[in-house]
Amino acid sequence: MSAIESRAAADISPELARVAGRRVLVFSPTIRYQLGPGDRALVVAGDAVVPGMPILERTPDAELVDVGRLGIENGKSGKAGRGSGSSSGGGASLEPLWKEAAAEESRAMARRTSGGRTDRPSGPPKQERRRPPSPGKWWVGGGDRRGKPDKGKQAIRIGGTLLFESGGRWWAAAGERHQVVTSPVAGVVREARNAVEVIIEVAGSALPGAIAAGVPSRGYLDVPRLTDGELWASALDVGRAGAVVVAGSRVSAQAISRARAISIRGLIAGSVGEGELRDLEASELRQRASLAPALPFGLIALDGHSRRPLATPILALLAAMAGREVTIVTDPPLLVFDSPEVPLPELPPDWIRARSGPHAGREGRWLKSIGLYRFRSGIYLEAAVVRFADDTGTTTLPVTDLERFVF
Amino acid sequence: MLAGLLYKIESTDPEILVEMCAGEGPDIPTLVAVWPRLEARTTPQRRIAVLAGSRRQRRRLETAALRAGWLTVGGSADEDDAVVLSRLVLSTETSAVLLGADHSPGGDEKRHLPDLTALVAAATRLRPELTVVLAGGAATYESQFAGLADARLARETAPDPVGLASGSGGPGATEPMVEKVVESKLVTKKALAEAEAARADNATMDASEDGGPAASSTGEAFEAEPEAFEPEPEAASELDTEVEGGVSGTVASAEPDPSVVAPAESQRAPVPLAFGVVESHAAPNHVLLAPDAEAGDPAGAALQQVLEGLRAFPNDSRLGVARSIASLAYVLDRSVEVVEIGLQGGLSSRSELIGPGHATVVTSYSCLAEASFAPANPSEEVIDGLMTWSTVPLDRHRTMDRLNDLRLLPWGEADGDGAIFRLAAAKAAFGRLVEATPELAEQPMPELLVASGGIFAALPPSVVALALADLVRRPGVSQLAIDQARLLGPLGVIEDEVERRRLMANLADDILMPLGGLVMPAGIRPGRSAGLLRLKGLPTSTEIELHPGSVQVVDLPPGRAARADFDFRDPVRLGKRGRHFSVDVGGGLSGLLVDLRDIPMRISDRPDSRRAALDTWQRGMWPDIDE
Repeated sequence: MSAIESRAAADISPELARVAGRRVLVFSPTIRYQLGPGDRALVVAGDAVVPGMPILERTPDAELVDVGRLGIENGKSGKAGRGSGSSSGGGASLEPLWKEAAAEESRAMARRTSGGRTDRPSGPPKQERRRPPSPGKWWVGGGDRRGKPDKGKQAIRIGGTLLFESGGRWWAAAGERHQVVTSPVAGVVREARNAVEVIIEVAGSALPGAIAAGVPSRGYLDVPRLTDGELWASALDVGRAGAVVVAGSRVSAQAISRARAISIRGLIAGSVGEGELRDLEASELRQRASLAPALPFGLIALDGHSRRPLATPILALLAAMAGREVTIVTDPPLLVFDSPEVPLPELPPDWIRARSGPHAGREGRWLKSIGLYRFRSGIYLEAAVVRFADDTGTTTLPVTDLERFVF
Repeated sequence: MLAGLLYKIESTDPEILVEMCAGEGPDIPTLVAVWPRLEARTTPQRRIAVLAGSRRQRRRLETAALRAGWLTVGGSADEDDAVVLSRLVLSTETSAVLLGADHSPGGDEKRHLPDLTALVAAATRLRPELTVVLAGGAATYESQFAGLADARLARETAPDPVGLASGSGGPGATEPMVEKVVESKLVTKKALAEAEAARADNATMDASEDGGPAASSTGEAFEAEPEAFEPEPEAASELDTEVEGGVSGTVASAEPDPSVVAPAESQRAPVPLAFGVVESHAAPNHVLLAPDAEAGDPAGAALQQVLEGLRAFPNDSRLGVARSIASLAYVLDRSVEVVEIGLQGGLSSRSELIGPGHATVVTSYSCLAEASFAPANPSEEVIDGLMTWSTVPLDRHRTMDRLNDLRLLPWGEADGDGAIFRLAAAKAAFGRLVEATPELAEQPMPELLVASGGIFAALPPSVVALALADLVRRPGVSQLAIDQARLLGPLGVIEDEVERRRLMANLADDILMPLGGLVMPAGIRPGRSAGLLRLKGLPTSTEIELHPGSVQVVDLPPGRAARADFDFRDPVRLGKRGRHFSVDVGGGLSGLLVDLRDIPMRISDRPDSRRAALDTWQRGMWPDIDE
């Protein structure tokens, strides 16, 4: 990549080099899942992940739970408190905490034996299974919190992560309901911390975006024919279920609602308004609160909030990738391609695009820099003369309104 | 860019280039490679989680943190449960935690402190990169964090994950901070001792009702060196000569300062600078002990200072602006105020000599992340503020979109409609800054008022002058200027005060572009005429009738001074109360502004009427707005 970059940089004039470069592809990007109290990572640093593999478990309704006393005194568990009292005399004299630790250990062992590991250090010795309680540690218990269960009904147990210890008692963020989140990408886990974050280095390449919303989602890339640079909401039908659809210059709230209703996995647009983003966020919150889990849906805007058409090199790239599996990632905003080999469009080195201003979205060729120039409203700015592809004449516009593509 | 500049010089005036190369043949690539550099950086926005036992205490702490330039999220144990508070602390967007209590915590706080401390200590075990500030009574729980250095060390020795380019955390969120725990404790204990001393001083001042000038809000006072600095014309070129010649013998530095960027391509030894840059890093810390939120004068200043040191880069350009203004106040022997509006925040600073004949400069300043012209995730209040200053009708959702786009592309669409929108955004940010610094608004009108920041630099000078007059509503006479080349920040990074003053003495006329004089009387009564203005000292004497409610502009070019005699119909306040005033005024690109509007400004609450009034004033200063 660096070789290509340096060659490209050598091809352009120093004036053009001062135009903001827009990177079309990034390779092996790092993505992040933000966790919160009650959430845990199901992977550890060094694990290799593939799409569909569980990576974390969220506790949507985590609340504060008094766990009671936990700890090891002369090799035995301490006195259990209210939250875990019923399980203090559980099998093999293990607290729920230790049971869970054992389960975690066995899962990790299974992963190791199945060969999914890359550079993880060798596992801890067996006697370390009984780790002392620490913040962030997964905890399961609370069978007696709802009182005596009805006859024939199983006691509801809650799970979550330990928060802190105060006055000898532990407190946890725990809840009854849990949601397992699967990885939408292939890669290697770089960091996994319960209640904090999971960071994955993606194997593949990605197209950076400006804004992303919803949740990371995966589907096949669908590039329909756009009318005047846009996709009408009516063009979204059930035939596109499971797809990540290129929606053109702007995506409306109506199109988002319709896409979600028919199980479309994601939308790619040039821009999206703040109102639509707020609607989507509210809708996501409602869905998370409901008991019926919804399919993940992601939205990515490549340019910003104000309407402007998708850049033609990016549209060409997306068209070339049509039908392949892609992933919308929200932190940071990325459209991830599984393969690092992405067919890049051929572009002249002086190809530029207006990214803001009245000409936003228009593309053409750089002609020359003309220094300070008096623009509308008597504003003096560094200017350039360009020839847009759809115009025979030349146009003078501020250099700061331009961008060039960097592959 | 430097190479381009030098090539342009070579094509227009090659002799200058020969002089730069000390008589040898100009070799621009070599010149670029050995060019000494002074690096200043804007500290990106960082977020601090403010935790307290009570809402009252949380608000005090938040105020100090906001004034130190932090973005804040907060919670108190009496309102939020531990899960909510943990969420704030564990979020990777949070870079630091401020846990505070009164100096002697009352019952409402005291009972929550053990749990809160345990919660924060537990969070730092999960996030060892987190910096914790224990303020006031919370400092007694320092021992809870005893084992933290080990966890931090373990994390630092572990392989680092690749940092994210953007997203939630921002550069500051994931950036591991270099720490020296012992050092930081020494520093903070010193700060505590200072705070105690300040507390004692306050008590003394309260008791004696000392009417002397107020100490700086951040406690910063520059005392002149024993050998008092005298601006020397010859000294002007000392730096220039060294820079241009590429050689220096004044500073013998075996190892250049880390802030001095050595050119990577060059194999030649880096040329030492003729000046030092601010060296002490602000964040060699892990657990900091800080004074409570009431310590200092004004209250919270001591804590603000600690938090600011934690937040900002050592070569932070925004704080550099404040330092440059302090030097400028000394050099010009004037009271100087600056308003700087940027993408990552804003700064308001005032410096003045403590009195005639004194060499001590008193500086008070405040950084505010919310004073960014395009704040991240703008609130409804931010949108309201922008729409309040807009002269064109704006749709609320569209305004939000444009403001978000302005954050993504801060230099995008700087002309036409974009310029009008940017002006409204800058004024709204300026308004937030004024609102957050009431102690500055109580000061008299400064003799020199400076606008700084890229958003002002791209606007016509007369519009910037009007923006200053719109938002600094204090009766008095002032000279308006703009930091057009945006050099105040970088020059403020020079650590040596004497060196900085010398530079300022030589460059003040060049780095500040005069916008014009401003005369702002208070107490003008409505009517047809407010009185007469006679401008003397010019080739032709000018007499102008003054109209209440208007901003009148008198042509007075840059570099010219005149005497303005005012005969008001009714008594007004212009420093003191009276009808007849005779003041010296300076010229500028927009001339002399006589602002006869109300103080504070009263405009209709109705959007249409307000827009019409703003538009009328603006068109008077910006005639080519519709071009």
